[in-house]
Amino acid sequence: MAEPRSQDVLEEGVHLGSASEDAETAELRSLLLGPAEGRIAEIHERLTDPHRQLTEISQVLPDAIAVRTRQDDELAQALGPTVTTAIERSVRKNPQPLIDAIFPVIGPAIRRAISVALSGMVQSLNQSMAYSFSVQGLKWRIEAWRTGKPFAEVVLLHTLLYRVEQVFLIHRETGLLLQQVVAGGAAVQDADMVSGMLTAIQDFVHDSFNAPEEERLETMEVGELTVWIEQGPLAIIAAVIRGTAPQELRPIFQEALETIHLQFRPQLMDFSGDASVFDATRPLLEDCLQTQLDQDKQGSAPARIPRTLLVIAALIVAALLVWGFFAWRDARRWNSYVERVKREPGVVVTETGERDGKYFIGGLRDPLARDPAAFLAEANVDPEDVVASFEPFQAMSPEFVLRRAQRLLETPQTVNLKFTNGVLEAEGFATLQWITEMRRVVRFVPGVTQFKDDNLIDVDRIVNPSLLFEPNQIELAPGQEEKFRQLTADIERLQKLAESMKKNVRLEITGRADGSGSEERNSELSRGRAERIAAELNARLPSKSNLTIAPVSTREKLREELTEADRAANRSVTFKIILTDAR
Amino acid sequence: MMSERNIVQKKICMLGTFAVGKTSLVRRFVQSIYSDKYHTTVGVKIDKKLLDLDETQKMMMMLWDVEGAEQAHELRKSYLRGASGYLLVADGTRKETLYKALEIQARAQETLGLVPYIFLINKSDLIEEWDIEERELEALVEKGWHVIRTSAKSGVGVEEAFTALARKMMEMPK
Repeated sequence: MAEPRSQDVLEEGVHLGSASEDAETAELRSLLLGPAEGRIAEIHERLTDPHRQLTEISQVLPDAIAVRTRQDDELAQALGPTVTTAIERSVRKNPQPLIDAIFPVIGPAIRRAISVALSGMVQSLNQSMAYSFSVQGLKWRIEAWRTGKPFAEVVLLHTLLYRVEQVFLIHRETGLLLQQVVAGGAAVQDADMVSGMLTAIQDFVHDSFNAPEEERLETMEVGELTVWIEQGPLAIIAAVIRGTAPQELRPIFQEALETIHLQFRPQLMDFSGDASVFDATRPLLEDCLQTQLDQDKQGSAPARIPRTLLVIAALIVAALLVWGFFAWRDARRWNSYVERVKREPGVVVTETGERDGKYFIGGLRDPLARDPAAFLAEANVDPEDVVASFEPFQAMSPEFVLRRAQRLLETPQTVNLKFTNGVLEAEGFATLQWITEMRRVVRFVPGVTQFKDDNLIDVDRIVNPSLLFEPNQIELAPGQEEKFRQLTADIERLQKLAESMKKNVRLEITGRADGSGSEERNSELSRGRAERIAAELNARLPSKSNLTIAPVSTREKLREELTEADRAANRSVTFKIILTDAR
Repeated sequence: MMSERNIVQKKICMLGTFAVGKTSLVRRFVQSIYSDKYHTTVGVKIDKKLLDLDETQKMMMMLWDVEGAEQAHELRKSYLRGASGYLLVADGTRKETLYKALEIQARAQETLGLVPYIFLINKSDLIEEWDIEERELEALVEKGWHVIRTSAKSGVGVEEAFTALARKMMEMPK
C-alpha cells in the first residue's frame, strides 16, 4: 500500500511551508489567492483523507479494470498469483463454500468428460460384438438399425431391467424429508422415518470408516432393491430402485439434484422445517422415476436361455413346421377329394368338415352312382381318417334315368337303350317275353315319359320262323313266301344292329324232320332242309360281310307228335344266333 | 404429510448416558417402525410424532434416539447435526447420570449452538430410590435450565416434556 507514504510526504511539505511563513505572507497570500483558498483546502482534504480516497477509487475501479483489460492482459498477469493464493488460503481454511459454489458446474463437466470416454468404449464394444452372431444378436442389430441407436446401446438396454420406485429429497443437515415421489403401485414405507434413517445410516457408515468428508455412501442393496444416494452440499436424493439399475440413471439424479441446488439454494440454506416450499421440486424428482418396461424383459429373456432350451425350442419349431406342412398337405388332399366327389354324377355333397380328428363328408347319393370312397385312393386320403355319410336318393339326370332303366328292365346285352328328353328308346333284339315285360315295366321307370321300340327286333321270329315244309320234301310248303321274306328282313336288321355293335353274326340253321319215315331219310331231310334255307338266305341277303350261315341237322323233335299239326311243326328249321366280336 | 400446510418438521435428539430410559420415553410417546436393535447396530433409531401445537400449527417431530454414550466425546456429531432441539435425559436414581448429562449437554452445545433443550429426570416413579438432591436441580433451574421430572413407566411428564420442547423450538428465531 503506497497511499500512507505519499500522504506523509504531502503533509510534510505543507508543514514545511507553513512553518517558514509569517503572518504577512499569510495575509499576502490571502489577498492574492482570495476565494481560491477554500477550493485549495478542499483539494487538500481530498488528497489527505484516506476514507474519501477509498470511496473515490472504488467508484472508478471497476471501469478502470475494464479499460485496462481491454488494453492488454497485464492486469490479469499481476492479479494471477494473488488470486491463486487467495483461493488456496480460502480452501485451506474452509473448502465447503468453494465446493458448494462449483458443485452445480463440476457435475456436468465431469459427466461430459466421462461420456466422451464411455462413447469410445462403446465404440470398441460395438466392434467386438460386430461379428458375434446369434438370433438375439441379429434381432438387436435390426433394432439398432431401425432406431438408429448404436448396437451396443441396444444390447445394454435389453440386458437391463429396472424401475425407480421411490425418490426422496432429503435435507442434508437435518435428515428431514423435503419431498417424495412414488411410482404408481410401489409400496410406501413411512417416508419421514426412512429418510431420517437413511441419513443416519449414511453418517454411520461414513463415521465408522473414517471416510473423507466428500466421500459418502452411494449405494445400498437389499435383495432386488437398490438404494442410490446422490449427495449434494445441501440436499440428498435417495432413489429406491427395483431390479438392475444402469449407470445411465446416475446423471438423471445428478442433474435433478444440481437443478434443485441452483433453484432452491436459499430455501435449503434457511430450512427450518417447512417442507411445503419444496413442492415445486416434484416435477424434477418425477423425472427420476424411470422404468424399463416389460417388453424389454421379453427381449432380454432369450439372452439368458441356456443352449439346451434353445435346442428344444428349435426342435419344437421344426416339429411345428413339419406338422404344419403335413396338415397343409392333408388339407389340400382332402379338398381335392371333396372336389372330385362333387364332380361325380349322382352324388350331392351337402356337408364337409372335421369332426373328432377325422374328416367328415356327407350328402346324398344315388345308389347307381359310384361310391365316393372309390376316389379316396386317387386323392391320397387315408380311408381311416374319413367318416362319410350319404343318404340315398334318385338322381334325375338323363344318365341316371337311363342307368336306372337298364337296371330295372334287366336289359340283355343285345338291347341298346337310349334316353333323350324324356324319351327312352330301345333297339336291338330280345325275346318276345322280355319285350312284353319291358313294355309293362318301362312306365314305372322315374323320368321316362315316352317309350319307343320300333327298332327292337323280336328275336323269337328269327330263332323259330315257323317255316312249314312239305312232308318228305326239302322244299317249303306253298304260302311260306311271306314268312320267308319277313325272316330275311329280320336277319338283315340283325346284321345291321350287329354291325353297329361291332359284332359278327353266326347263324346256325338246324334242320328237322317229323317222326314218320326212316331214320336215314329223316336225317337226309333235316340236313337238306337246313341247307336249302341257307342257300336261299345266301341268295337273298344283299350283304354277308359279317354273317356266317352254318346248316346243321338234328334228330331231336321240337314237340311230341300227337297230332298232324305237331308233325308239321317238327318239319322245320330253327336258328341259333351267335354273336362274336368283329375282328 | 408433505402436501399438508402448517406442518413444520423438526429434528430432535434424545441424549443421555446408558439406561436412563431414553428409548422408553420415546416408546411412550410414539409409534415406531424400527426395532430397538438399531441402537446396537447403527447407534440411532428414528421415530416420529405429530404434535398439534394449536389449531393451525402442527409439528412433525423426527426423534433421533441416539445410543447412550459412556463418555460425552463418544457421541456422534453427525447424529446431532441439524437438530433443532434435544431432550437431555438423566436417571433420578443414579446421580452419576446427571453429571454425564451435563457433559453431554456441553458437547451438544458445542455442535449445535444454542438450540432449545429440556432436561428430563426420568424414573420419577422410583421416588424412594431417588439419588439426586433437590438443590442440585434448583441450581440448574437458576442457570435457566428447564427441568421436568418424568416417568416412562407411568407416563408422567412425558407428553409435557415433548410439547414444551416443541413450543421452545417454535419460539426460536429462524
